[in-house]
Amino acid sequence: MNLPWLRHRTAARLDAEQQRRREALPAAPALDERPLASQRFVVVDLETTGLNMRRDVVLSIGAVVIEHGAIDLGQQFECTLNRPIQDMGVSVLIHGIAPSALARGIEPAEALLAFMEFVGDSPLLAFHAEFDRHMLRRALRHTLGYRLRHPFLDVAELAPMLCPDRKPAKGGLDDWAERFALQVDQRHHASADALATAQLALILFSHARRQALDSPAGLAQRLAVWRRRQRGLLL
Amino acid sequence: MTKADAFAEAGKTAVLQNIHGTMEFLQKYPPFNQMERAQLAYLVENCQLRFYAAGESIIKPEDGPVEHFYIVKQGRVCGQRPHSARRGTETTFEITAGECFPLAALIGERATRTAHLAAEDTFCLLLAKEAFVRLFALSAPFRDFALRGVSSLLDQVNQQVQLRAVESLGAQYSLNTRLGGLALQKPVFCGPQMPVNQAVRTMHEQNVGSIVVVDENLHPIGIFTLRDLRRAIASGESDLGQPVERLMTERPFYLSPDATAFDAAMAMTERHIAHICVVERGRLQGVVSERDLFSLQRVDLVHLARTIRNAGRVSTLAALRAEIRQLVDNMLAHGASSTQITHIITLLNDHTVCRVIELALEELGDPGVPFTWLCFGSEGRREQTLCTDQDNGILFEADNAAEAAEIRGRLLPIAERINRDLAVCGFPLCKGNIMASNPELCLSRVEWQRRFASFIDKSTPKNLLGSAIFFDLRAIWGPPEGSDRLMDSLLEEVGENSLFQRMLAENALHRRPPVGLFRDFVVTRKGAEKATLDLKVQGLTPFADAARVLALAHGIASANTIDRLRLLVEAGVVEAKDGAAYEEAYQFIQQTRMQHHQQQARLGQPLSNRLDPDSLNHLDRRILRESFRQAQRLQASLALRYQL
Repeated sequence: MNLPWLRHRTAARLDAEQQRRREALPAAPALDERPLASQRFVVVDLETTGLNMRRDVVLSIGAVVIEHGAIDLGQQFECTLNRPIQDMGVSVLIHGIAPSALARGIEPAEALLAFMEFVGDSPLLAFHAEFDRHMLRRALRHTLGYRLRHPFLDVAELAPMLCPDRKPAKGGLDDWAERFALQVDQRHHASADALATAQLALILFSHARRQALDSPAGLAQRLAVWRRRQRGLLL
Repeated sequence: MTKADAFAEAGKTAVLQNIHGTMEFLQKYPPFNQMERAQLAYLVENCQLRFYAAGESIIKPEDGPVEHFYIVKQGRVCGQRPHSARRGTETTFEITAGECFPLAALIGERATRTAHLAAEDTFCLLLAKEAFVRLFALSAPFRDFALRGVSSLLDQVNQQVQLRAVESLGAQYSLNTRLGGLALQKPVFCGPQMPVNQAVRTMHEQNVGSIVVVDENLHPIGIFTLRDLRRAIASGESDLGQPVERLMTERPFYLSPDATAFDAAMAMTERHIAHICVVERGRLQGVVSERDLFSLQRVDLVHLARTIRNAGRVSTLAALRAEIRQLVDNMLAHGASSTQITHIITLLNDHTVCRVIELALEELGDPGVPFTWLCFGSEGRREQTLCTDQDNGILFEADNAAEAAEIRGRLLPIAERINRDLAVCGFPLCKGNIMASNPELCLSRVEWQRRFASFIDKSTPKNLLGSAIFFDLRAIWGPPEGSDRLMDSLLEEVGENSLFQRMLAENALHRRPPVGLFRDFVVTRKGAEKATLDLKVQGLTPFADAARVLALAHGIASANTIDRLRLLVEAGVVEAKDGAAYEEAYQFIQQTRMQHHQQQARLGQPLSNRLDPDSLNHLDRRILRESFRQAQRLQASLALRYQL
C-alpha cells in the first residue's frame, strides 16, 4: 500500500533530533560558472523496487564524490534501506538485493538524512537523472517532509551531447561504459553503478573542457539547446 | 543463477562495494596480492581515481617533488624524455593496468625525471604521499616492492635488451650491448681486385660509407671508405679503374662480436675512424658505423672527439667544453656507468690537451727537442670528472745536467703557454703548482728518476703526499717510451723497499670512510644537525690509495684504480670476490659524486664533493653505506697485510 497520506504520516514521525538534522541541511546549490575541476559533485545511483515512478520505492542508495576533478574513493555513500517485504517487486533479480539485506537495512528516515548530509550543497550527477531525481524527491518528501531542490546533471544526456560521434546504438549506462572500455566491477549495484557513472562523468568533463565548456552552468545551458534540437529532430 | 543463489551472492557484497571492487582489481597484481586486507583497504580508501585523456600529461619534471603514488587502473602510460641528440622526445617505457609509478622519484622525494603521459584514455589511482609513507612503514610486501621496484625495473629493462628492444632504452643498456647482438648492417665487401669506381658504385647502391676488402676466406684485408676516396681525389689520383687494394686502408681495425657498443665507440674516438669491422674467427660478420652507434647511444661522442681534434683555435676548444658537459649530462640521464663516463671525459680531455699542445707548437714554433706531456693524479688514473684541475709535467731526454737545463729553458715558455691555454679551456690552474711550467716539473728522465727516488728514500709527509699524486702517472702527448722507462724504474724501487710500502699503506689508512654518518629512512630530521660527507676524500680516496700501494708493491704499471684492482685479482693479491665488491663500491660512489655534480651544475652552484646523505633516497643511501663499508674492509685488509 503506497498511499501518499501514509507517507506524510511517516514524515511526521521524525523525532526531535531528526527534525533538527533536517532543518540543518544546507540550502540547494545553483549550477554556477566555476570550473568543473574546482567543484564537488555527488554522483548518485538508486536501486528501486521497480521502474514505476509513482509506485516503486527506493531500496538502496550508492553515491561517490567527484572533487577537484577526481573521484575520491575515501568519500562514498552506500546504504540499503530497511523496507517491509511487501514493498519488494519482481525487480529483485535486477537489483540483486536480498530480502535479508533489506531487513538488515537502515531505517529510511535515517538513511535519507545521512544521504542528504553527505550531499551537502553539491550538485548531483546521475545516469538517467530524471528517474533518480524523481524517486529521491518523492522518498525525501514522504519520509522526511523535505523538498529536494538540488540541481541534477544527466550523464545520459551529457554523453551523446559531448561525444555524438561515439554514441552507442542504445544509450544505457552499460552501452556507454562499454564504449569507453570502462571496467565495471559489479553492475546493478547502486555503488558500482554510481562509480561507473562517475568515471563516465570524468571522461565527459575532459571532453567538455576541450569544447570550452568548463562549468556546470555552461553544461546546463548547452544541454537546454541540445534538448531543443533533439526534440526538433524527432518532430 | 537461481533466485536463491542470487540472493546469497548479493548478501555477501552489501558493504562498500566500490572499495571491495577496487581491492579485487588490485589483488591481481603484486605487491597488492601479498598485502593484508586491512592495509589494502586502507590504500584504496586513501586513493582518488583520476582520468587522463590520451596525450594528457600525468606528471612531469617541472611539477616538482612527486606528491602521489600512481597505479594504472586502466589504459596505458608512457614515459617520455627529451631527446638528447635530436629535437623532440623519445618514449622510454610503457606502463599498463596494475603497474605503478614513479617509485624512484617518490622514494627519493624528488621530481620525476621523465614526463609521464597518458598514451591512451587512462584512469589512474592516486595514493597521497602521506598514505604511501604510512603503508611503506606498515606493510613489508609493499615496502619491499617499492624499494625493489626501482631496481626490478632495471631487471626488466635488461631482459628487454636481450629481446633486442634496443631502440626504446637508455644508453647504458645499449652501450653495453654486444656488437654481435646488434642488428648489424649486412657487410658490404669486395675482393682486392675490384676497380675503385665499381666499389664506389656498390657503396652508393647499398647506401653505405665503407666497403670491406676481403680475401677468399672472407678475412678483411682492408677497408675503403668515402674518406679514402676523398683523399685519393684530393691528391690527384685520377685512375679510378685501378684495383681498390691500392687505395684502401690496410689491416682495418676490428672487434669481436663479444665486444660492446661502448668498446666500439671508444675505439672510434681513439682512432678517429668511423667504421669498425666485426670479425669472428677471422671471418667478416658485419660493420659497425658511427651512425649505428649514434642511433644507439644518442650521444655523438665520435663526432665531438673529431671536432676537438680539428679545432683551429683555443677559443673553439673552450666552447666545446660546454658540449662535453652536455654529453656527460645526457649520458648520466641515460644511466651510463661512472666508469664509462670517466673514460669518456678522460678521452675527450686528452684530445683537448693534445690539441692545445699542437696549437701552442704551431704558434710558438717547434722547440726542436722531443718531449712528453705527463699527467698525474686523477688525470693520470683516467678518473677525471668535470671538476678536476691541472696536474701535469714534462719529460724529455738529456745526457747531462747542463743539457737538461738548456732544454728546460726552451720548453718552459711553451709549457707556460700550454698551462694558460688549458685554463682557458676549463682546466683550472693547479693551486699546488703541479704544472709543467713549474721548473721542478719540467725534467729530464734522469731528473725525474732522481726525484721519485727521493720520495721513496725520505718518507716525509710531504713526500708521501707527493708520491700519492706523482705515482699515478701517464703520458698524454709525445713519445711514451720515456715515461714507460720512468714507471719501470719506479716499480723496481718500490718493489724492493718494503719500508716505503708500509709507510704508503699507513698513509692510505688516514682517510677513514664515514660509515657511522648514515641513518635510516623516514627518521625525523633534526634542524641544523645535518652532517655531510666528502665523496671524494672519504669515499674514493681510500680505494685509490689502497689500490696504489698494492699495485706499486706488485709491479703493476697501470694507474687506473679499477684496472689496478682487476690486475691485483689476476695476480692473486686480492680475492676475486673482494675485488668485484671493491670495484662495484668504488663505481657507485663515483656515480653518486657525478650525479651530485651534475645536480649542482644545473642549479648553478659551485661543484663540491660534499653530500648530505639524507638528501639521497633510501635505496641509494643503503647502497652508499654499503660502498663505504667496502672501503673500510679494504683498509682493514691493508692494515692486516702491513701489520699496521
